[in-house]
Amino acid sequence: MHEPSDERLIQSTLAGDDEAFAALVRRYRSRVFGIAGRFASNDHELDDVCQEIFIKAYRNLGRYRGDAPFEHWLSRIAIRSCYDLLRKRRPMVSLEDIELPVEDNVEPQRAREILDWAMARLAPEERMVITLLELEEKTVREIAGLTGWSESKVKVRAFRARQRLKEVLSHER
Amino acid sequence: MNDEQLNKIFQTARTKPDTSRAEYGFETRVLARLREPVAPWFALAWRLLPAFAAVVLVAGAWCYNERPAVTIEAAMAGSESTTVAGVFAGD
Repeated sequence: MHEPSDERLIQSTLAGDDEAFAALVRRYRSRVFGIAGRFASNDHELDDVCQEIFIKAYRNLGRYRGDAPFEHWLSRIAIRSCYDLLRKRRPMVSLEDIELPVEDNVEPQRAREILDWAMARLAPEERMVITLLELEEKTVREIAGLTGWSESKVKVRAFRARQRLKEVLSHER
Repeated sequence: MNDEQLNKIFQTARTKPDTSRAEYGFETRVLARLREPVAPWFALAWRLLPAFAAVVLVAGAWCYNERPAVTIEAAMAGSESTTVAGVFAGD
Protein backbone atom coordinates (compact mmCIF):
# COMPACT_ATOMS: atom_id res chain seq x y z
CA MET A 1 0.00 0.00 0.00
CA HIS A 2 1.23 3.48 -0.93
CA GLU A 3 2.34 5.47 2.11
CA PRO A 4 1.22 9.10 2.20
CA SER A 5 4.04 11.62 1.80
CA ASP A 6 5.29 13.75 4.68
CA GLU A 7 3.79 16.84 3.03
CA ARG A 8 0.36 15.22 2.85
CA LEU A 9 0.54 14.11 6.49
CA ILE A 10 1.61 17.63 7.52
CA GLN A 11 -1.28 19.20 5.60
CA SER A 12 -3.74 16.77 7.18
CA THR A 13 -2.32 17.48 10.65
CA LEU A 14 -2.66 21.22 10.07
CA ALA A 15 -6.24 20.60 9.01
CA GLY A 16 -6.89 19.00 12.40
CA ASP A 17 -6.28 15.32 11.74
CA ASP A 18 -4.29 14.10 14.75
CA GLU A 19 -4.06 10.58 13.31
CA ALA A 20 -1.95 12.02 10.48
CA PHE A 21 0.42 13.37 13.09
CA ALA A 22 0.49 9.95 14.76
CA ALA A 23 1.61 8.53 11.40
CA LEU A 24 4.45 11.10 11.31
CA VAL A 25 5.42 10.13 14.85
CA ARG A 26 5.48 6.45 13.87
CA ARG A 27 7.59 7.26 10.81
CA TYR A 28 10.23 9.27 12.65
CA ARG A 29 10.19 8.04 16.22
CA SER A 30 13.19 5.72 15.71
CA ARG A 31 15.23 8.60 14.29
CA VAL A 32 14.29 10.85 17.22
CA PHE A 33 14.87 8.12 19.81
CA GLY A 34 18.24 7.44 18.15
CA ILE A 35 19.31 11.06 18.64
CA ALA A 36 17.85 11.51 22.12
CA GLY A 37 19.18 8.11 23.21
CA ARG A 38 22.68 9.54 22.96
CA PHE A 39 21.89 12.16 25.60
CA ALA A 40 19.20 10.80 27.93
CA SER A 41 20.45 9.10 31.05
CA ASN A 42 17.55 6.63 31.42
CA ASP A 43 14.38 5.39 29.67
CA HIS A 44 12.15 7.78 31.59
CA GLU A 45 14.19 10.83 30.58
CA LEU A 46 14.35 9.49 27.01
CA ASP A 47 10.56 9.19 26.81
CA ASP A 48 10.09 12.68 28.26
CA VAL A 49 12.50 14.38 25.89
CA CYS A 50 11.11 12.55 22.85
CA GLN A 51 7.58 13.59 23.79
CA GLU A 52 8.76 17.20 24.13
CA ILE A 53 10.37 17.02 20.69
CA PHE A 54 7.20 15.81 18.97
CA ILE A 55 4.99 18.23 20.88
CA LYS A 56 7.22 21.14 19.82
CA ALA A 57 7.07 19.83 16.25
CA TYR A 58 3.26 19.63 16.41
CA ARG A 59 2.92 23.15 17.81
CA ASN A 60 5.32 24.64 15.25
CA LEU A 61 4.19 22.62 12.26
CA GLY A 62 2.63 25.71 10.70
CA ARG A 63 6.12 27.25 10.53
CA TYR A 64 7.56 24.34 8.56
CA ARG A 65 8.15 25.81 5.11
CA GLY A 66 9.12 22.63 3.31
CA ASP A 67 12.44 24.03 2.01
CA ALA A 68 14.28 21.16 3.73
CA PRO A 69 13.09 17.58 4.30
CA PHE A 70 10.80 17.19 7.31
CA GLU A 71 13.33 14.81 8.87
CA HIS A 72 15.99 17.55 8.94
CA TRP A 73 13.58 20.04 10.46
CA LEU A 74 12.59 17.50 13.10
CA SER A 75 16.25 16.63 13.77
CA ARG A 76 17.01 20.29 14.46
CA ILE A 77 14.19 20.39 17.03
CA ALA A 78 15.53 17.15 18.53
CA ILE A 79 19.10 18.48 18.80
CA ARG A 80 17.97 21.73 20.40
CA SER A 81 15.76 19.89 22.89
CA CYS A 82 18.64 17.57 23.80
CA TYR A 83 20.94 20.55 24.23
CA ASP A 84 18.38 22.12 26.59
CA LEU A 85 18.28 18.81 28.48
CA LEU A 86 22.07 18.86 28.89
CA ARG A 87 22.04 22.48 30.05
CA LYS A 88 19.32 21.82 32.63
CA ARG A 89 21.11 18.81 34.01
CA ARG A 90 23.13 19.59 37.09
CA PRO A 91 26.84 19.05 36.56
CA MET A 92 28.17 15.84 37.98
CA VAL A 93 30.40 16.70 40.90
CA SER A 94 31.09 13.24 42.09
CA LEU A 95 30.61 10.14 40.08
CA GLU A 96 30.70 6.54 41.04
CA ASP A 97 34.07 5.04 40.44
CA ILE A 98 34.23 3.33 37.15
CA GLU A 99 36.84 0.87 36.19
CA LEU A 100 38.23 1.85 32.85
CA PRO A 101 39.21 -1.01 30.58
CA VAL A 102 42.80 -1.75 29.83
CA GLU A 103 41.98 -4.39 27.24
CA ASP A 104 41.68 -3.44 23.58
CA ASN A 105 38.37 -5.11 22.81
CA VAL A 106 35.57 -3.39 24.65
CA GLU A 107 31.89 -4.33 24.30
CA PRO A 108 29.68 -1.61 22.73
CA GLN A 109 27.58 -1.32 25.89
CA ARG A 110 30.73 -0.96 27.99
CA ALA A 111 32.19 1.63 25.61
CA ARG A 112 28.97 3.64 25.91
CA GLU A 113 29.14 3.46 29.71
CA ILE A 114 32.71 4.73 29.68
CA LEU A 115 31.86 7.55 27.30
CA ASP A 116 28.72 8.49 29.27
CA TRP A 117 30.78 8.62 32.42
CA ALA A 118 33.50 10.76 30.84
CA MET A 119 31.11 13.01 28.91
CA ALA A 120 29.18 13.78 32.07
CA ARG A 121 32.22 15.86 32.96
CA LEU A 122 32.12 17.92 29.78
CA ALA A 123 30.24 21.16 29.24
CA PRO A 124 26.88 20.71 27.44
CA GLU A 125 28.17 22.20 24.18
CA GLU A 126 31.26 19.96 24.28
CA ARG A 127 29.15 16.88 24.85
CA MET A 128 26.77 17.88 22.08
CA VAL A 129 29.50 18.46 19.51
CA ILE A 130 31.48 15.32 20.32
CA THR A 131 28.33 13.16 20.19
CA LEU A 132 27.29 14.52 16.81
CA LEU A 133 30.78 14.40 15.35
CA GLU A 134 32.13 11.13 16.68
CA LEU A 135 29.07 9.00 17.43
CA GLU A 136 26.50 10.24 14.92
CA GLU A 137 29.31 10.84 12.39
CA LYS A 138 27.93 14.17 11.21
CA THR A 139 30.11 16.60 9.28
CA VAL A 140 31.06 20.00 10.69
CA ARG A 141 28.65 21.64 8.23
CA GLU A 142 25.79 19.35 9.27
CA ILE A 143 26.47 20.07 12.95
CA ALA A 144 26.46 23.80 12.23
CA GLY A 145 23.10 23.40 10.49
CA LEU A 146 21.62 21.34 13.32
CA THR A 147 22.83 23.48 16.20
CA GLY A 148 22.82 26.95 14.65
CA TRP A 149 26.50 27.41 15.57
CA SER A 150 29.03 28.65 13.01
CA GLU A 151 31.34 26.08 11.43
CA SER A 152 34.40 27.63 13.07
CA LYS A 153 32.69 27.45 16.48
CA VAL A 154 31.89 23.78 15.88
CA LYS A 155 35.53 23.08 15.03
CA VAL A 156 36.84 24.90 18.09
CA ARG A 157 34.36 23.20 20.39
CA ALA A 158 35.12 19.79 18.88
CA PHE A 159 38.84 20.28 19.40
CA ARG A 160 38.39 21.40 23.01
CA ALA A 161 35.93 18.60 23.73
CA ARG A 162 38.33 15.98 22.45
CA GLN A 163 41.20 17.38 24.50
CA ARG A 164 39.01 17.49 27.60
CA LEU A 165 37.78 13.96 27.04
CA LYS A 166 41.32 12.63 26.73
CA GLU A 167 42.26 14.53 29.85
CA VAL A 168 39.34 13.06 31.84
CA LEU A 169 39.99 9.52 30.63
CA SER A 170 43.76 9.74 31.18
CA HIS A 171 43.31 11.13 34.65
CA GLU A 172 41.06 8.27 35.71
CA ARG A 173 42.92 5.47 34.04
CA MET B 1 44.89 8.25 26.66
CA ASN B 2 45.96 8.89 23.08
CA ASP B 3 43.89 9.64 19.96
CA GLU B 4 43.99 6.06 18.77
CA GLN B 5 42.53 4.71 22.01
CA LEU B 6 39.88 7.40 22.05
CA ASN B 7 38.92 6.66 18.44
CA LYS B 8 38.58 2.98 19.32
CA ILE B 9 36.15 3.80 22.11
CA PHE B 10 34.14 6.06 19.78
CA GLN B 11 34.06 3.38 17.12
CA THR B 12 32.74 0.78 19.56
CA ALA B 13 30.21 3.14 21.14
CA ARG B 14 28.80 4.15 17.74
CA THR B 15 26.38 1.23 17.74
CA LYS B 16 22.93 2.70 18.29
CA PRO B 17 21.49 1.99 21.72
CA ASP B 18 18.42 -0.23 21.59
CA THR B 19 15.42 2.02 22.25
CA SER B 20 12.68 -0.37 21.06
CA ARG B 21 11.39 -0.89 24.61
CA ALA B 22 11.02 2.86 25.20
CA GLU B 23 9.39 3.32 21.77
CA TYR B 24 6.55 0.94 22.54
CA GLY B 25 3.20 2.78 22.46
CA PHE B 26 4.97 6.10 22.07
CA GLU B 27 2.59 7.72 19.57
CA THR B 28 -0.34 6.93 21.89
CA ARG B 29 1.40 8.80 24.71
CA VAL B 30 2.19 11.77 22.47
CA LEU B 31 -1.41 12.00 21.23
CA ALA B 32 -2.71 11.73 24.80
CA ARG B 33 -0.51 14.68 25.77
CA LEU B 34 -1.63 16.69 22.79
CA ARG B 35 -5.27 16.06 23.69
CA GLU B 36 -4.83 17.15 27.29
CA PRO B 37 -7.11 20.12 27.81
CA VAL B 38 -5.25 23.38 28.22
CA ALA B 39 -7.00 26.26 29.97
CA PRO B 40 -7.76 28.77 27.18
CA TRP B 41 -6.79 31.79 29.30
CA PHE B 42 -3.45 30.16 30.05
CA ALA B 43 -2.67 29.54 26.40
CA LEU B 44 -3.85 33.04 25.49
CA ALA B 45 -1.72 34.61 28.24
CA TRP B 46 1.39 32.93 26.87
CA ARG B 47 0.60 34.05 23.33
CA LEU B 48 0.04 37.61 24.52
CA LEU B 49 3.27 37.70 26.50
CA PRO B 50 5.26 39.56 23.80
CA ALA B 51 2.45 42.12 23.54
CA PHE B 52 2.46 42.62 27.34
CA ALA B 53 6.22 43.07 27.29
CA ALA B 54 5.95 45.62 24.47
CA VAL B 55 3.28 47.61 26.39
CA VAL B 56 5.48 47.68 29.51
CA LEU B 57 8.47 48.89 27.49
CA VAL B 58 6.48 51.60 25.68
CA ALA B 59 4.86 52.77 28.92
CA GLY B 60 8.25 52.84 30.63
CA ALA B 61 9.81 54.86 27.81
CA TRP B 62 6.84 57.26 27.75
CA CYS B 63 7.01 57.85 31.52
CA TYR B 64 10.74 58.43 31.30
CA ASN B 65 10.38 61.03 28.52
CA GLU B 66 7.33 62.76 29.97
CA ARG B 67 8.53 63.16 33.53
CA PRO B 68 8.47 66.87 34.65
CA ALA B 69 11.86 68.53 34.59
CA VAL B 70 12.45 69.64 38.19
CA THR B 71 15.06 72.38 38.51
CA ILE B 72 16.63 73.45 41.82
CA GLU B 73 14.99 76.91 41.52
CA ALA B 74 11.56 75.45 40.95
CA ALA B 75 12.00 73.06 43.84
CA MET B 76 13.11 75.88 46.15
CA ALA B 77 10.25 78.16 45.00
CA GLY B 78 7.79 75.36 45.74
CA SER B 79 9.31 74.88 49.18
CA GLU B 80 9.16 78.62 49.97
CA SER B 81 5.52 79.01 48.93
CA THR B 82 4.61 76.00 51.08
CA THR B 83 6.38 77.58 54.07
CA VAL B 84 4.75 81.02 53.50
CA ALA B 85 1.33 79.43 53.09
CA GLY B 86 1.93 77.57 56.36
CA VAL B 87 2.80 80.84 58.16
CA PHE B 88 -0.38 82.56 56.92
CA ALA B 89 -2.44 79.58 57.91
CA GLY B 90 -1.03 79.83 61.43
CA ASP B 91 0.92 76.55 61.33
